[in-house]
Amino acid sequence: MGRVKLPIGPQHPALKEPENFTITLDGERVVDVDIRIGYTHRGIEKLMESRTYTQNLYLVERICGICSYAHVENFTQNVEEILGIQIPKRAEYIRTLFLELERLHSHFLWLGVAGHEIGFDTLFMYTWQDREVVQDLLEMISGNRVNYAMNAIGGVRRDVCVEHQKKVLQGMDYLEKRAGYYKEVAINEKTILARAENVGILKTKDALKYTAVGPTARASGITVDIRKDDPYASYLDTPFDVITTNTNDVLGRVVVRVLEIFESIKIIRYLMAHLPAGEIVTKAPRKVPEGESISHTEAPRGEDFHYLRSNGTEKPERYKVRTPTLANLPALAEMLKGTYLADVPIIVAAIDPCMGCMDRVLVLKGNEKPGELVDGERLRRYSIKWYAERGWKA
Amino acid sequence: MTTTEELITEVLKGFPVQVKRERRVFLTIPRNDLIKTMNILSSELNIQHLSTITARDTGNDLEILYHFLLKGVVITIRTTCPKNDPTVDSIVSVFPSAILYERELHDILGIVPNGHPDLRRLVLPDEWVGGYPLRKDWKQPAEQEAEE
Repeated sequence: MGRVKLPIGPQHPALKEPENFTITLDGERVVDVDIRIGYTHRGIEKLMESRTYTQNLYLVERICGICSYAHVENFTQNVEEILGIQIPKRAEYIRTLFLELERLHSHFLWLGVAGHEIGFDTLFMYTWQDREVVQDLLEMISGNRVNYAMNAIGGVRRDVCVEHQKKVLQGMDYLEKRAGYYKEVAINEKTILARAENVGILKTKDALKYTAVGPTARASGITVDIRKDDPYASYLDTPFDVITTNTNDVLGRVVVRVLEIFESIKIIRYLMAHLPAGEIVTKAPRKVPEGESISHTEAPRGEDFHYLRSNGTEKPERYKVRTPTLANLPALAEMLKGTYLADVPIIVAAIDPCMGCMDRVLVLKGNEKPGELVDGERLRRYSIKWYAERGWKA
Repeated sequence: MTTTEELITEVLKGFPVQVKRERRVFLTIPRNDLIKTMNILSSELNIQHLSTITARDTGNDLEILYHFLLKGVVITIRTTCPKNDPTVDSIVSVFPSAILYERELHDILGIVPNGHPDLRRLVLPDEWVGGYPLRKDWKQPAEQEAEE
């Protein structure tokens, strides 16, 4: 049988977000893969140049709906570095608390998605129910389940009171018990072993060659964790271990994330026990002097890299964001080669991809014509017309 | 200064290395020296982690920054190319992970990495004819229409 080219996406029932994989198959085996991204490109970097630093706080957060806090943490760290501001110790601890709560909910969410991709939907139901505990804690402190709007330039916007601390610790007790169960399941459950063991191999040398980041790199035996390598927030004070495995497969990526849940719980307990007293925010000027700064954090998916160039005004000159999913794509292409088509969804899910969501629409009329930008108002009118033509009333 | 920074300064002796703060090292080089410098980073410092490549429009020139990570130290190599000749050697042969980042530069700022194996678009649509959005003189299609 000859080789078959199979396009998956950008719109496909099995994909959670728009992306495109062109997979070349020889029978059931994947021989080549081409990944096309950009379907959710929203031009945030350009948009940031026309907004003030305060406005950008909330725009940056919307780069991603899951690891939103890692982005806003990078942004505030960059601005604070150029301003030369040292934020209060208490604010550092609260920021670390949010970074770890975010990792918890992201890892629980991922575990569910991984279960779903291998047809183990019970796991999906269980973990997403447990994730609600984290979401409730986030909502209790910040008022929001996602995009917490917690950071201000110079500190945080909301304090953590004694009552909150008690609830957070109760939540951790519950989650630790649940994570213990998932650890058992990940290591012993036949369904998971059959679908994840020796699947999606990424050798250590390839992970290094393509600069894989986060749990993907750590499951290939690379000890890389920005929290330890280049400590930010309060990670220098906080004891925790970097989890690695050397199985190089999807199972390794499951194990790394499950064990990281325990580390996050450990960090959060430490933070709650040692939360320093004092202010939560220092005053920051609106204008940022000329300068440049680099900040990177260990987001749930890996190294999240931001670069800021300021020009002395209230708006940035250039802002650059590199999300961990982009860094992991070349490694993903490597993992997919030589695998079975049926394993493609779980291998893709194992890097925990996050493509962001749509903000501005680009309508393409045929292949030869240039793209046309459509704003919200025109889109609204178009949809009213579309429904009206079909006999619906808006 | 930590030992990693001392090592970097030692290996890159003769280059204008600037340690901006703890764990942040910057180095400015002419674009003709790019591959030479990349080879030193790769073979002598044994760097494998390319975090990303940033570029920006500085008016007449385009500034390109290559960010590397070595034991927690971010090393940034800065180079520039003029806007009327926006080319620079591709570093993919030395650092394979640069492949997507260089495609992005080409896509949004119009920088041509010489010797890059695959310069298709990355974030913009294949049919895009609207120029290079991250250049400072770029205007949104709607703004252009209003002016015409």
